[in-house]
Amino acid sequence: MNIAVCINQVPDTTSRINVGNGVIDTGNLNMVLNPYDEYAVEEALRLKEQRSGVIVTAFSAGGKKHYDVLRKALAMGADQACLVEGGGNDDSLVVAASLNKAIRSHYCGLPDLVFCGRESSDCNRAQVPIMLAEMLGVAAVSSITKLSMHDGGLEVWREIEGGVEEYLLRTPAVVSTEKGLNTPRKTNIKAVMKARKQTVLHLDGSVEESPGVLYHDLSSINHQRSCRFSETAEDLVRILHEEGRLP
Amino acid sequence: MGFFVILEQRQGVIKDVSVDVWRTVQHFARISGSGEIYGAVMGDVDANLVRSRCTGKGMVYMVRDRDFHDYCPQSYAETIAKMVVQKGAENVFLANTAMGRDLAPRIAMRLDAALASDCVVDLDGTGLLKAKTTMYAGTVSAVIGRLRKRAVYSIAPGICRFVEPARNAVEVLEAGGISVSGCNPVLKKIIYHAGRKDVAEADIVVAGGRGVGGSENFALLESLAAVLGGAVGASRSAVDEGWRPHPDQIGQTGKSIAPRLYIACGISGASQHLAGIVGAETVIAINCDKDAPIFKAADYGLVGDIAEVLPQLEKAVYGFRRVK
Repeated sequence: MNIAVCINQVPDTTSRINVGNGVIDTGNLNMVLNPYDEYAVEEALRLKEQRSGVIVTAFSAGGKKHYDVLRKALAMGADQACLVEGGGNDDSLVVAASLNKAIRSHYCGLPDLVFCGRESSDCNRAQVPIMLAEMLGVAAVSSITKLSMHDGGLEVWREIEGGVEEYLLRTPAVVSTEKGLNTPRKTNIKAVMKARKQTVLHLDGSVEESPGVLYHDLSSINHQRSCRFSETAEDLVRILHEEGRLP
Repeated sequence: MGFFVILEQRQGVIKDVSVDVWRTVQHFARISGSGEIYGAVMGDVDANLVRSRCTGKGMVYMVRDRDFHDYCPQSYAETIAKMVVQKGAENVFLANTAMGRDLAPRIAMRLDAALASDCVVDLDGTGLLKAKTTMYAGTVSAVIGRLRKRAVYSIAPGICRFVEPARNAVEVLEAGGISVSGCNPVLKKIIYHAGRKDVAEADIVVAGGRGVGGSENFALLESLAAVLGGAVGASRSAVDEGWRPHPDQIGQTGKSIAPRLYIACGISGASQHLAGIVGAETVIAINCDKDAPIFKAADYGLVGDIAEVLPQLEKAVYGFRRVK
């Protein structure tokens, strides 16, 4: 069974983002594997450990900087890593089209299962997994928190507001992973060293697809509010009442 | 220009967030003075309920087939995309819920439309739609320019600034659905957590962090939330400690919420957490550390141990209610 895992790199969640002239200053950012993608890699590796003949391949669309996250996937235990070049990393539609092209060419067809993180933690658009599924022409369920595999079929759960939906789907399929699905493994130094020596394949991800949207006029937002302190709980409730803030 | 609103139905009820989107679109049509409004409800909903929830002008199509009552991704996408094309609507709106996030890209792909996710939309000076979104844990805002004739807007839930249109001239009609088999995931069942309000949908949220000290202490928050009619949320550290389940998590790797009132208890206020409460109208912080960053993001603050403060707060709320 072939499992593809699509991964992305994002700034470490503690990074301070600086905006100058409407553009993000990426110079000082510490880039890491997108946290939601860690669940995707982990789940693929668990399936590999449970069954025989599973090959896990990580794909990442972008420039050479994406080597780092691909090596992280290898260090976690992925069998192969592919850098998908020529499509860029900005527009969801273009990224999905690049991944579609690369995945199809790598497998000369379709893999059995594609894992993606629910969204990238930098832009939170959650668009690529479903777009990719549409381009691959396969079924997809987003934001899964539980997965079990039977012969040719998957049972997955996804959280909705106030509940859980349980889906059945047949492979080939795309699923995107949500926090809660698993606890991603840590990588040890030996695995990291070994991953450094592994070859990363280069795949052509150049596509004719044009971006659907353009993000512009970026600016920093200041979330500071001015805090009015109360001495006692009673004081606080009285002020809230006077200002109509309580039901 | 033509507007199309996808109204999300769960358990026979049209969601509040969808009604907010409907009202916003009514406002756009009124101000711009042009554009028909169409709506679509999937599933078996009482037509009178649709009329009472969605007021103003326009036409709402109901697909009442049994197969459409619960979310069926490809069939929903196919049916709605066909309707949008038939009506010639250029702007498709839906709420950015679990369903909205899953459905929006499917519809955008079918329509070759631009997709603006998790955005807030307004009219600019020339009467054109202007979508804005945030990125990097809510610290950066961006304008989303559409590069296609059609666009799908997945609207971030928030406090709706638009009032309900008084006049009701909405027509409710029935329409047929297109069932897609093949690569369609099949919904086996939905389990609703009875009696638990979702943090993303509650008007009031009482949330706890590491400072709560343990899962058993969340009883204090549950109790206050019950008095106020709110839901209980948690910071990432409280979830990672296993004190609360992930659906309760607020912040960058959890939910973004926009309640009228947010009470942060024992939450230090890391930027990843603050990302999730940008939309809150009023923020109250209770923390024993007077220098905690949460106070810089709060409107009201109280320095103290939550084990003492929360019962006092509850008592005071009761006291003021009696006076009223």
